[in-house]
Amino acid sequence: MKKKWVLFFALVIALFTGATMTGTTAHAASDDSLAQVQKKGTLVMGTSPDYPPYEFQATVHGKTKVVGMDVAVGEKIAKDLGVKLEVKSMSFDSLLVALQTGKVDMVISGMNPTPARKKNVDFTHTYYQGGYSIVINKADKGIYKNKDSFKGKTIGAQTGSTMYNESKKQTTDTTVKGMTSVSDLILGLQSHKLQGVAMEKPSAEAYVSNNKELASIPSDFDLSASDTSASVAFKKGSTSLVAAANKSVDQIKKQNLVNKDYLPAAGKYLKTNTVNTSMLHYWKAFLKGVEYTLIITVCSVFFGFILGVLLALARMAQGGPLMTGLRWLATAYVEFIRGTPMMVQVMFVYFGLGLVVNLPALMSGIIAISLNSGAYVAEYIRGGINSVDKGQTEAARSLGMSRGYTMRYVVLPQALKNIWPSLGNEFITLIKDSSIVSIIGVSELIFQSNIVRSDTYRGVAPIAVIMVLYFILTFTASRILNFFERRMQHD
Amino acid sequence: MTKPIIEVKNLAKNFGDNVVLKNITEQVNPGQVIVVIGPSGGGKSTFLRCLNLLETPTSGEVDFNGENLTTLDPKRVNELREQMGMVFQNFNLFPNMTVLENIKLAPMKVKGIDDTTAPKRAHELLKQVNLDDHADAFPGSLSGGQAQRVAIARALAMDPKVMLFDEPTSALDPEMVGEVLNVMKELANQGMTMVVVTHEMGFAKSVADRVWFMADGFIQENNTPESFFSDPQTERAQDFLSKILM
Ligand SMILES: Nc1ncnc2c1ncn2[C@@H]1O[C@H](COP(=O)(O)OP(=O)(O)O)[C@@H](O)[C@H]1O
Ligand SMILES: [Mg+2]
Repeated sequence: MKKKWVLFFALVIALFTGATMTGTTAHAASDDSLAQVQKKGTLVMGTSPDYPPYEFQATVHGKTKVVGMDVAVGEKIAKDLGVKLEVKSMSFDSLLVALQTGKVDMVISGMNPTPARKKNVDFTHTYYQGGYSIVINKADKGIYKNKDSFKGKTIGAQTGSTMYNESKKQTTDTTVKGMTSVSDLILGLQSHKLQGVAMEKPSAEAYVSNNKELASIPSDFDLSASDTSASVAFKKGSTSLVAAANKSVDQIKKQNLVNKDYLPAAGKYLKTNTVNTSMLHYWKAFLKGVEYTLIITVCSVFFGFILGVLLALARMAQGGPLMTGLRWLATAYVEFIRGTPMMVQVMFVYFGLGLVVNLPALMSGIIAISLNSGAYVAEYIRGGINSVDKGQTEAARSLGMSRGYTMRYVVLPQALKNIWPSLGNEFITLIKDSSIVSIIGVSELIFQSNIVRSDTYRGVAPIAVIMVLYFILTFTASRILNFFERRMQHD
Repeated sequence: MTKPIIEVKNLAKNFGDNVVLKNITEQVNPGQVIVVIGPSGGGKSTFLRCLNLLETPTSGEVDFNGENLTTLDPKRVNELREQMGMVFQNFNLFPNMTVLENIKLAPMKVKGIDDTTAPKRAHELLKQVNLDDHADAFPGSLSGGQAQRVAIARALAMDPKVMLFDEPTSALDPEMVGEVLNVMKELANQGMTMVVVTHEMGFAKSVADRVWFMADGFIQENNTPESFFSDPQTERAQDFLSKILM
């Protein structure tokens, strides 16, 4: 029994420290990037699908998938390499990290090959030369002309994007607000928190043509060609892969495929998208969100509970140096986890641990939340154990029961009963907090609602829907927990 | 010559700077009933708890059946604890289990007795303490006297060679003291070796083989009940008795 815990903790610690140490050595070897992708047979493309017509989610025959001109570019590259394309969605901020940590093989997300980015990743030739527009409310059309009209006002741009940086640099007396997703920015615009949203021209056109309340004006940003062009990003040093992709990109340019084929095709999806924007139409997307939220919560509660019990026992271990060490480790773990944000932990498990073993996003999310929940549950359990009268332990020990049996058969059952309400709260909190894993692209409720939002160009309705769904989940859960709590009361 | 079942040699116990037990050397023979009396805070509970190592002695030794408990490994200590049942002032029944479950838990988990034999034995013990009709009750629904009788049955379920009682009637309403003392008397009549800390002088007079008077951390007087109550040898005991027998 005791040996098992020690092993378990050793494993956890090894994973944590291992993740940070092996990170820097990974890409020192000579370049076999092309060979590796071909051996794998798939090319994984990372993208942030809330940027029509570059990339966005569309419901095709009742199924949501990522479409757009960037996906077409990705498909072309994959086809030319003779491999299958796999599209992975995540927030724009996470894309380059995902590339560097090997979560994806390439990033196509309307990304500009800026000098800063070039330091960290390798870019292909440009496959598209765009420009910037600013989207405004149609009612304000006379007021704003270009970037200089926003003195004393607020404009928004996608966090981490070129527009965001340029908007900051090239405006005066204008507040620039960054948000992760363009649908949030549009919502901000329509609710008058923002007066304009800077984005690439094709995106602006897509939004305007799909929403009668919006209009677009030229930005008149002073930009070099590299600031308005889009390229495919690969991991630094993957020369062979970049060279191969460049062949496809050059063809795309030469045959003008983007303007001739890809953009019109993307436009069609945009049209089908706006045909039916009722929330009912998207019930499958929401159902999937509920499903994943429940999977994450239930799994995390289960593993978090087991970890919590082990941690609580380890924190109360008494005896020789081994036990003292165990107690010290468990205490440090609990303090550390409780002292760092869950969001950072989720990213660390996905990207950091991902350097050692390639974990799918869902599993990373479950692991991270279990590790987090375990620390909190451990404290509840420790409190629960301390709340059990010492006489109980003495009675059990006087009957010849060992320390372990006493804990297992006498103290723990009573402790759990005492802390059942706290554990129930933890469960309900997890239902809500599981939303954090949306940042690594797990399709739980928040993530799904964002998809529906960028899909339908409706900002509020999907939020209202998931609010109700969350409430139904938490309310049902608390009813069930109450039922069991009442059943446990017999003294 | 019978061999003593419990032998205490130079037992001492401190809690930090607080010296609670000082150099106690005594022994208990099989079948004997020892009643420990003395003023509160004198170390009686601590002494009793040292006998089954619920409290670890600071120095000295406690032998049970010739084995020195203070030098044994924890596993052997657990085995010997089975043979020393203990009854507490506050019963310490497991509140989340029925009376029957309270009694059969340790026999099943520790001795590995199966789930048909253990309940049978539990019912026998409950009959012995006149509570068989309460087998499925939870401790919370019992009166103090009933709870203490269940606690005695629970300790007996391990077939102990010695029973230790720490003020078993002190937490009871007066009208319930009798039912518990009767069970204890019966046990004594059956030949059980018992060490009883109590303030029930009647019980001491009628049941005890020896009275140990304990104050200030050691046993001041070890006497027969007859001479202890009629002719206490130490001034400390005379003083104590004069206060409670008024
Ligand atoms: N766990 C403990 N920690 C510190 N001091 C204790 C502890 N248990 C008992 N004592 C002290 O030991 C002394 C004797 O207590 P106790 O054995 O309970 O006496 P009695 O049972 O005769 O009333 C008291 O001064 C008490 O405060
Ligand atoms: Mg006492």
